[in-house]
Amino acid sequence: MIASSAETQALRVARRGIWISAVAFLGLAAVVVLALAFTPVEARQGLAQKIFYLHVPAAWAALLAFSLVGITSALYLWLKDPRLDRFAAASAEVGVVFSAVMLTTGPIWAKPIWGTWWTWDARLTLTLFVFFLFIGYLALRAAVHDTAERARFSAVVGILGMLLVPFVHLSVYLFRTLHPQPIVLKPSAPSLPAEMLTTLLVSTLVFTVLYVGLVTARYGLALADEAREEARDAA
Amino acid sequence: MHSSRDTTGYSVRSFFQLALVIAAKDVRAELRSRTALQSALVFAALVLVVFNFARDPTALSATELAPSVLWVTFALAAMVALNRAFMVERENAAMDGLLLAPIPREALFLGKLLANLAFVGTVEAVTIPLFVLFFNVNLGRALPGLLSVTALATLGFVAVGTIFSAMAVRTRFAELMLPVLLLPFMVPPLIAAVQVTSRLLANRPLSEMWGWLRLLALYDIVFVTLCMMIFSAVVDE
Amino acid sequence: MPPETPQNGEYLVAAYVITAVILLAYWLRLWSRVKILIGGEKHERGRRT
Repeated sequence: MIASSAETQALRVARRGIWISAVAFLGLAAVVVLALAFTPVEARQGLAQKIFYLHVPAAWAALLAFSLVGITSALYLWLKDPRLDRFAAASAEVGVVFSAVMLTTGPIWAKPIWGTWWTWDARLTLTLFVFFLFIGYLALRAAVHDTAERARFSAVVGILGMLLVPFVHLSVYLFRTLHPQPIVLKPSAPSLPAEMLTTLLVSTLVFTVLYVGLVTARYGLALADEAREEARDAA
Repeated sequence: MHSSRDTTGYSVRSFFQLALVIAAKDVRAELRSRTALQSALVFAALVLVVFNFARDPTALSATELAPSVLWVTFALAAMVALNRAFMVERENAAMDGLLLAPIPREALFLGKLLANLAFVGTVEAVTIPLFVLFFNVNLGRALPGLLSVTALATLGFVAVGTIFSAMAVRTRFAELMLPVLLLPFMVPPLIAAVQVTSRLLANRPLSEMWGWLRLLALYDIVFVTLCMMIFSAVVDE
Repeated sequence: MPPETPQNGEYLVAAYVITAVILLAYWLRLWSRVKILIGGEKHERGRRT
C-alpha cells in the first residue's frame, strides 16, 4: 500500500509536535533545577511547598485543554469543520494527562501541608470533575464508530461539560460559605517572593509549550490515521 | 397534523401541543409494556432497604442520613428509568418514524423530557412514602417543600439524562455509557437537593435554603434550554 | 525560637517523579506511534523508487 501524501503531511505535523514537546521537556528540566536550587525553601511548609511549581501550571494546562475542548466543540456544531473535532479529541486526550498530573500532585502536596490526602475544596473538586468529564468524553468517542456521529456526540458532551464547571464551582462555594471550614494553611502566599514568582511563570510557560507540542503531535497522529483509513478504503 | 414540511411555522401553542402528543405516545407505550417503570420501582425499593441495613443505627441516626439516602436512591432510580425508556424505544424503532416527520427537534426533546419526567416522577412519588416508612421521617410541614425541591432537581438531571440516553443508546455499552456521562452532571443538583432536603426536614427557615434553590433554578434554566437546542445534533444526521 | 521547618522532602521527590513519569510516558507513547508510522511510510516509498 502506497503511503499517500496526506499521510506524509500529517506525519510532518506530528513530528513537529514531538519536537516542540521535546524542547518543552528540556524547559521542564530547567524548571526542576530552578525549583530545587533557585527558589527559597518556604519556612512554614518546607520542601513540599515546591510541588506548587508543577501542580499549578499543570492545573492551568488542564484547564486550558478543557476550555479549548468546549470552545472547539461549540464551533464544530456551528461550522461542521472536522479539523475542529480532531483538535477537540487531541486536546481532550492531552487534558487527561495533565489532569492526571494534577490529581496526583494535588494529594501529594496536600498530605504534608494540610494533613489530609483530600479535601472537597474548590480546586481539588473541580480537578476531579474535569478529569471525569474528560474520561466520559474519551469513552464516548471510543464507543462510537461513525466519524460524523462521533464528532457530533463529542461536541454535545464538550459543550455541556464546559457549562457544568461553573455550577460545580458555585456548589462548592455555597457549601463552604454555609459550612465554615477550619482555617487551613494557604499553600501560596498572597505576595510571592520574586524567585518563586519567576519560577512559577517559567513553569507555566513550559507547560503551555508542552501542551501545544503534545496536542500538535496527537492531532498529527489522528490526521495520519484518517489518511491511512481513506487510502485503504480507496484501494 | 401539519402537512407542510416547514418546521419553523409552528406557533408556541402548537409547539407545546406537539410536545405533549409525543410525551403521551411515550407514556402510553410505557404503560403498555411497563418495563422501565417496574424495574425502576423495584430498584428504588431495594436501594432503600439496602441503605437501611447498611448503616449502624447506633453510630448514625436515621435523620442525619435520610436526605442523602433519598437522593442517592432518586439518582440511581432515575438512571435505571432513563436507560430502559430509551432501550424500549430503540427496540421498537419508533424514533425513526418520528424523525422523518417535519417535527422541530426542540419539540421532540421536550416531549421526551416530559415523558421521562413522568416516569422518574412516578418512581419518586412511590419512593417518598417508602422512605417515610423505612426511615421514620416526620414530614409534617415539609411535604410541599420536599415536592418542590424534588421537582426542581429532577428536572435538571432528567433534562441532561434525556439527551445523554439518546446518545448512549446509539453506542456500544449503552448501559455503562449513560452513568459515566451523566453522573458528573447530577452532582450539582444532587448537592443542592440534599442540602435543601435536610434543612426542610429540620424545619429550618427558607432563608437558609435560598442560595441552593436559586442554584437549582439556574441549573434547570441553563440545561433544559441548552439540551433542547442541541438535541438535533444527536438525532439528526 | 522560630518553629521548625517540616522535613517533608520525600513528598517533593514523589510528586516530581510522578509528574515526570506521567508526562514522559505519554510523550513516549506518541513518539513511538509516530516512529512506527514514519518507518512504514519510508519503507513503502523506498519500495516505489
